Amino acid sequence: MSARMTLVRILLAVLCLSGSGAAFAEPYFAVQTGLKCASCHVNPTGGGMRNEFGSAWGQTALPAQHIDTDGDSWTGKVSKYLSIGTNVRATASYTDVPHQPSQSQFDLDEARLYVELSAIPDRLSVYFDQRIAPGGSTNLEAYGRYWWNNRTWYVQAGQMYLPYGLRLEDDSAFIREVPGINFATPDQGVQVGLETGNWSAQLAVTNGTASGPEEDKGKQYSLRAEYVRSGWRAGASANFNDADSGDRKLANVFAGLRTGPIAWLGEADYIIDKGFADGERRQWVGLIEANWLMRQGHNLKITAEYFEPDRSVAEDEKNRYSLVYEYTPVQFLQLRLGARLYDGIPQNDLDNRTLAFMQVNAYF
Amino acid sequence: MNRTASAIAATMLIAGCAGNGEGLDQNGRPVDGGPIPLAPTLASIQQNVFTPVCTRCHAGASAPLGLRLDEASAYAMLVNAPSVEVPTLRRILPGNPDMSYLVQKIEGHAAVGGTMPLNSPPLPAETIAVIRQWVLEGAAQSSASLDPQTPAVLAAITPDANAILEKAPAQIVISANVELDTSSLNSGTVSLIRSGGDGSFDEGNEVEVPALSFEIRSANPTVLAIAVPASAWVPDSYRLRIAGGGAVAVADLKGLAIDGDADGHAGGDFVTDFDLGRAQ
Repeated sequence: MSARMTLVRILLAVLCLSGSGAAFAEPYFAVQTGLKCASCHVNPTGGGMRNEFGSAWGQTALPAQHIDTDGDSWTGKVSKYLSIGTNVRATASYTDVPHQPSQSQFDLDEARLYVELSAIPDRLSVYFDQRIAPGGSTNLEAYGRYWWNNRTWYVQAGQMYLPYGLRLEDDSAFIREVPGINFATPDQGVQVGLETGNWSAQLAVTNGTASGPEEDKGKQYSLRAEYVRSGWRAGASANFNDADSGDRKLANVFAGLRTGPIAWLGEADYIIDKGFADGERRQWVGLIEANWLMRQGHNLKITAEYFEPDRSVAEDEKNRYSLVYEYTPVQFLQLRLGARLYDGIPQNDLDNRTLAFMQVNAYF
Repeated sequence: MNRTASAIAATMLIAGCAGNGEGLDQNGRPVDGGPIPLAPTLASIQQNVFTPVCTRCHAGASAPLGLRLDEASAYAMLVNAPSVEVPTLRRILPGNPDMSYLVQKIEGHAAVGGTMPLNSPPLPAETIAVIRQWVLEGAAQSSASLDPQTPAVLAAITPDANAILEKAPAQIVISANVELDTSSLNSGTVSLIRSGGDGSFDEGNEVEVPALSFEIRSANPTVLAIAVPASAWVPDSYRLRIAGGGAVAVADLKGLAIDGDADGHAGGDFVTDFDLGRAQ
């Protein structure tokens, strides 16, 4: 039996067993497949290490071509009790800022190492997501998690990404940067989650300091719920950070829809932030994204974003438009070629920059 | 191609239009005095770098690592403040840009994490050179904000006024809008008391916290960090008082007493309260 057939069988078997599905690295994968984040990722809210099914899906359904590895295949499982994984992203970019010399450079965006130790498989585990480059090693996630009731409920404690909205890979997206809940701002606390056939929900209570030292008694409360069907999904999130430096309230609605080969994503966020020196600000952020699966291994992503920095100030809105071609030639390797056009007030050169980039992403 | 065109059209329509910026400064705020050219002063760096670039993330309650770089907080949060990621380094060490963690972060050779600003193009070399120059020259607070005609007004940076703390603060940080006479800062003019367990400071059972030590966090003394021995912290209500009146008062470099009660006139004690709520 060929390795590809083995992988396909694993995929089908896990699909049958799970009754729901998987996402892989980005929410649009979940919309394209009609599956849930928890099916592909160790973290039920997505991002980070892939599980056995996610690894199989990434080798068979995602790439344009599968390279046979002599009948054996990577699953991330070193043993029944130990799994590992990694992500490495490197980018070549060209940035044109009005009235400034253009910049071009190579960057190692990140090299991350994932480790999951399962003392009781499918029930009790410890998980680490460590960014080992660039710069020194930084811990992003480190928590212990316990599943019960046939993996319907879980509780995890430690440092973790917060459940909120669509977990896009791109931290610079307005809907991730402005709310301040992204891969750069994990927090320490406890999270309870629910995973049923169609529902995914989480409640987290954390320090509210984005991994910084806790200096007040206030906590951050994050609540996210999502209803998933094969062709569409919809959800809502709320977040309240009770802080001495100024309370911050966030709420959003998000959705996904599949229309033929196009997977649509949408999110709208409303933010009330009392942490600004000049008083309270109310902000809007929105995103709509179309992902056209041209054929297996080829995706064209078109994104439009909107940011209203202060509702009390007129004519300060910003937009960002992106066009990204994603090519996954073989398993575990993705190439991205893209351009982002920033459109802000004319006084701010940085808000009117143009970015072109080529990115290599190795994941397994 | 029709499908692609439809997707592009739909996404663009939903995004709407950017603002035309009428009546706003470069940071999108209502015009107030016009732009300041980039120069090695805090006011210029604040307006040209910290506010437009850094506060996209480093502001408000969820500022990464607690580092707020808005205009009111930046100086006290940076100058001589220890880094969270590398506690042996100061975020800004006046006179030494190479050993200033902020400079290391924007130059991309810090020991931890990626180059700042994250997910944005690096700051232009000219901008980094200006920030280095500001640090090299002592990282002074902007002269624009130091009005020599008015008495010093103080503000509690950490803990915030009336904060309820879960654990003892590493330091109590107070900032002034005018340079202070450091010789007037001593245990006679700066005191920290706790309520004695009843939450009130009027019962006569208050307890003075001993052995305070003071650190001036800048060459031009506008940020005062007060360290308290770890053994002195117990769960209670605390009141920090900096004398602005009486026989001995904290004064600025001209000898003018602080405007502690912020009534626009010299004199009056500066008072800030906070609670330490949980057993240590």
